[in-house]
Amino acid sequence: MEGIIRILRRFVAATLLFSLFLLLFNFVLLGTLVFTENDQNSSPEGIVKQVTQGLEMKKDSFQLDRQATELLQQNHAWAMLLGENGHVIWEYHIPHDVPDFYNLVDVAKFSRYYLKDYPVYTSEHQEGLMVVGYPKESHWKYQLDFLAEWISSLPLRIVLLLLCNLALALLISIVIGTRLIRKIRPLVEGVHNLAREQEVQLDTKGIFGDLAQSMNSASAILQNKTAALQSRDEARANWIAGISHDIRTPLSLILGYASEMEDQSDLSEEQRHQAGIIRSQGEKLRSLVSDLNLVSMLEYEMQPLHLKYIRLSVLGRQVVTEFVNHGLDDRYDIELKLADEAVRVHGDEKLLLRAISNLVQNSVRHNPQGCKITIETSLSQDRSQYRIIVRDDGRGIPQEQLAEITELYFSARRKRPDQQGHGLGLPMVARIAKAHHGHLILANGVDQRGLTAIMEFPVQTINPIYPTHD
Amino acid sequence: MENLKDKKILIVDDEPEIRIMIERFLRKEGFYRIYMAGDCTSALSICREGKPDIAILDVMLPDGDGFSLLSSIKQLTDIPILFLSARGEDEDRLLGLGLGADDYIVKPFLPRELVLRLMAILKRVYSSPVAERLPVFRLGEQTIDLESAVVHRNRKELSLTAKEHAILVKLYENQGRIVTSDALCQAVWGDDSYGYENTLMVHVRRVREKIERDPSKPIHLLTVRGLGYKLLVKEIR
Repeated sequence: MEGIIRILRRFVAATLLFSLFLLLFNFVLLGTLVFTENDQNSSPEGIVKQVTQGLEMKKDSFQLDRQATELLQQNHAWAMLLGENGHVIWEYHIPHDVPDFYNLVDVAKFSRYYLKDYPVYTSEHQEGLMVVGYPKESHWKYQLDFLAEWISSLPLRIVLLLLCNLALALLISIVIGTRLIRKIRPLVEGVHNLAREQEVQLDTKGIFGDLAQSMNSASAILQNKTAALQSRDEARANWIAGISHDIRTPLSLILGYASEMEDQSDLSEEQRHQAGIIRSQGEKLRSLVSDLNLVSMLEYEMQPLHLKYIRLSVLGRQVVTEFVNHGLDDRYDIELKLADEAVRVHGDEKLLLRAISNLVQNSVRHNPQGCKITIETSLSQDRSQYRIIVRDDGRGIPQEQLAEITELYFSARRKRPDQQGHGLGLPMVARIAKAHHGHLILANGVDQRGLTAIMEFPVQTINPIYPTHD
Repeated sequence: MENLKDKKILIVDDEPEIRIMIERFLRKEGFYRIYMAGDCTSALSICREGKPDIAILDVMLPDGDGFSLLSSIKQLTDIPILFLSARGEDEDRLLGLGLGADDYIVKPFLPRELVLRLMAILKRVYSSPVAERLPVFRLGEQTIDLESAVVHRNRKELSLTAKEHAILVKLYENQGRIVTSDALCQAVWGDDSYGYENTLMVHVRRVREKIERDPSKPIHLLTVRGLGYKLLVKEIR
């Protein structure tokens, strides 16, 4: 909604600016186009003046100069000079229906309006009154009369007029704007919903009908694609779940009878040893099947998470303890560096334990010559992420393999088969981190020695309540 | 204890090989009253006639699933149920346990694992509560009686406080293995026990004063730096 109000505000401002500009433009036009015509020499007042100046008394007769004559000809005008006694003492092309004598009343009448329907203009001449007439209906004459008070309040009235104009423009722009917005609003919501991958179903009537229709069909296409992707992912996950289910029953029989033979005292030691190999390989297969199942469930986001608030430092300590309790070989030195222990993340305890223990297991398995493993926890600088870092100083992973090591080995992106282990360890860690809105970063240690695995998780901002000590 | 082997066990699984194998293991362990069924219908009729004492159920059966079979059996008779499933999903585990199953084992399983869990359920349900007693064990010159929460030392009796007792029980359950200080705090003060580490140290110190000859140089209750504590035990009973 914020966006729409912004649009409306801009629209109104633009309209007001536009109206002001239009008003100014009109004033300029009025000045340049309309009134220029009257300012020219050919205006009636100008011509009368020229004719008056151009008429000279020479040896008892009047002489009109060439320039004034041309002007009169161009305008199809006529002229006469009235003497002091009201008689016409000079004339130029005077029409027949114009009388040659005028009394005071006649003069007063035509000087204001028309003379026999001829628009006439007057000017004072040395010898009398100069009258210039134009053809009938070529000019309109009006008399302007104003009160002084009216003239003095004119600026105020003009300002008032401008204000009224502005108010009207504002009102119209708001009305048009809101109407437009009302039409646009569903479209804006539709676009936002499209981005959120929600279904969009807009009314296709009205001026934006085309746009609405396009958005509806875009939404339909998106929905179909998402559904297709989802069903394909589900099919894959179900396929893997089905296969692991089908493997479990025969594997139960293999494990069961092999472990029974291992305990059979009437078999030779070698046979019992071989049964033990079958049993331990069967157990490997068992863990592979359940890991494969877990990774594919995580990959297709079908793994249920049992979330609670967890301190990663506790998990780090637990993993190290488990490795020590299970008799970690002396070749491996394991160290804990915990910081900001109170910080908690929201996560599935079992999965996070699995992730940390996979990382340690990875360091152990890839460094049979032995190495030093460090588990660190710390808070990021902006205190928004909590990290658990598993670092070793062993062989590390070649730089070119780092990027693809977290891909699943049945994915086309991972080319080289993993030689040690089943290759699900690190992909599983990456997916567990992702399921917790975190991520796994793998990097080589200093001087290309050893592997550093960093898991980052968003910190849960609720303040842990410290219990009172007793 | 011996009478546990007289208990009647019902095995329900649609795979005959699995049924035969489980029967074999159970017979080897000394059980001899074993019923078998391949589907829900025959399982229910056995429940009505044979009155088994415990049932091992597969989740996927040809004429229904194990969860509904569990509900039907529980209506007939209140016997303990152990699920045996080829579906490893957590949801199934929770659903099974939520419906009142006593345990849940995921296939493939080791026979020893199955027998141990089965025995544990039978013991819990059918044995007299006497067997539930907490142990008495010897630590060097001291004898520690967890049942009555006392330490016998030089013919003197030192009683353990509730917290000291809880610490010793947790360490004893995991004897010979390191128990993290977090796990100990949780066992003593419950969930959300962060911040108790120093208090734990004080309590451990007091435990040592009772069970160690020289509390400053412990030989039974050891500190594992950075991780937690470890109890080394020689049991007498």
